[in-house]
Amino acid sequence: MTRANKTRDSGNETIQMTQNLSFSLISTNKIIQMSNVSTSYDSKNFALEKINLSIDRGTNYAIVGQSGSGKSTLLKLMNGMMVPSSGTIKIDYVSPNMNNKKFKKMMHTIGYIPQSLGLVKNITVLDNILIGALPRLNKIQSFFRKFPEHEVTEAKRIISLVGLTGKENRKAYMLSGGEKRRVAIARALMQKPTILLADEIVSELDHVTAKEIMNLIADAQKRMNLTAIMVHHDMQLALEYANRVAVIKEGHKILEIGVEGDTIVDFQTGDMTTEEIMEMHADDTKK
Amino acid sequence: MTPKNNILIGIIVGLVLIASYNIEANPLDFVEGFPNLGIILEEILVLENIVDNMKYVPSALLAMLETLQMAFIGTVVGVVIGLPFSMLAARNLNSKFVYAPIRILLAIVRTFPSILWAMLFVIVVGLGPFAGVLAIILYTIGFVTKLQFESIETIDSDPMDAVSSIGVSKFQLIRYVVIPEAASHLLGQMLYMFDYNVRQSSILGIVGAGGIGFFIIQYIKFFEYGKAAVYLFVVLIVVLGIEWISVKIRDKYIVKSQHGMEVTAK
Ligand SMILES: Nc1ncnc2c1ncn2[C@@H]1O[C@H](COP(=O)(O)OP(=O)(O)OP(=O)(O)O)[C@@H](O)[C@H]1O
Ligand SMILES: [Mg+2]
Repeated sequence: MTRANKTRDSGNETIQMTQNLSFSLISTNKIIQMSNVSTSYDSKNFALEKINLSIDRGTNYAIVGQSGSGKSTLLKLMNGMMVPSSGTIKIDYVSPNMNNKKFKKMMHTIGYIPQSLGLVKNITVLDNILIGALPRLNKIQSFFRKFPEHEVTEAKRIISLVGLTGKENRKAYMLSGGEKRRVAIARALMQKPTILLADEIVSELDHVTAKEIMNLIADAQKRMNLTAIMVHHDMQLALEYANRVAVIKEGHKILEIGVEGDTIVDFQTGDMTTEEIMEMHADDTKK
Repeated sequence: MTPKNNILIGIIVGLVLIASYNIEANPLDFVEGFPNLGIILEEILVLENIVDNMKYVPSALLAMLETLQMAFIGTVVGVVIGLPFSMLAARNLNSKFVYAPIRILLAIVRTFPSILWAMLFVIVVGLGPFAGVLAIILYTIGFVTKLQFESIETIDSDPMDAVSSIGVSKFQLIRYVVIPEAASHLLGQMLYMFDYNVRQSSILGIVGAGGIGFFIIQYIKFFEYGKAAVYLFVVLIVVLGIEWISVKIRDKYIVKSQHGMEVTAK
């Protein structure tokens, strides 16, 4: 109780407390909840408007939409890099905001792979991956760059997992696009994440490499019971890997579907056949 | 050329003329005084004098070594002290309440030319190279921090955002992202600063703060231009040598890494 009181979240504290209680009773399963979230970069246009989302723990969630529709913005809201101008977001009942101490601790286990990957160019693959373990170092270790033996072992294990064995001492700028993506994924896995946010990490890759990388994440997701939220350009790819797909258009969520094998369940817009859904997106991408 | 530009050029030319009048910069004085240079050169370039003055080369080299030591210590210590200040002065790492006061402080430090710092430290710690080293340190802090925080502000924000989203501490962000990303710039600036400080240390002797400048000014005062020339020549050779070495280092480690090329040949 006192902890909930202390949390200075943007929402109303009393409401939050009761929500905390009721949610934990009804469904501890919701890891991300967004209600009526709007945000903008400038005062004129909304980048996202009135988004409602709720994501179950362990889901492989996909967000699809055209360029400029607000997909990256949605991910930045989930990892606290941006805050909504209205509405509420809760990640495990905490509002994502970099200045919120409680959330900052949670960030340790939210793997975020930005569209630009964000690798440190002049350091090696291994050093880039070890960055994911930084929150687990104490002050002295991080001052002297002394990673414990088991962290280095773990990093090497992940390196072989993502297929970068033999390249651990390469500088990041010397890697190919696909290899860079593997490094970014490895850095995120090094965080021992509970949530993985990935922004179009396979969009620019050839089909084979894209599949390899998607399988890699799907494996990790199942094994670590990760909640993966991946942004895609390609509806086909999203349907192939995700349990849930949300379609964003011009800052609005226009569709959310569940995928179970070959059947597609429509969660938002009522009755729509698989063909209609596919066609709808085909229109989107042609523009 | 637009009329606006013409007016601007007119104003600049006008200002140069007014300024010249005020400081009594008269081209005629220069022309009339020119033969004096001939007299100096004549004394320097007489063969016997040159041979005779050669015996001063070892002591000139020794004085130059002291100068180099001053520049080296001053540069390294100045850069090391400067770096944390630069981190605090960078706008992409701090709030206004941190970077603004730090920038003002650094701007004040930067206002003093090294020779003024040297005079100050001669008063504080007495004559000799230590005063010169302190002067170089202070000058370096003022100067190099501006280069440093400006280059820190231009580093790619993508890795910074990606790594901050892990929830690392500010120190870790600097240690593991900012410094590696800016390393080649920081190293380049340090070389540049050393280059510059060698030249500066050569004149700090004028106010008694050690180094080769002390000898040069003494000889000039007593009209011993030949000896002064030997010392100046040593400065010239050493400065050129350092310039050459730093170009080599720059080529090998800095330029290539900035252009994303492989640095170490396999
Ligand atoms: N830093 C920014 N400053 C101002 N506007 C921005 C900024 N980033 C994004 N926007 C705007 O917000 C809207 C949504 O951008 P967002 O990056 O979320 O799109 P996206 O769906 O990820 O597109 P893409 O597929 O091209 O990556 C766009 O209209 C974009 O122009
Ligand atoms: Mg995007």
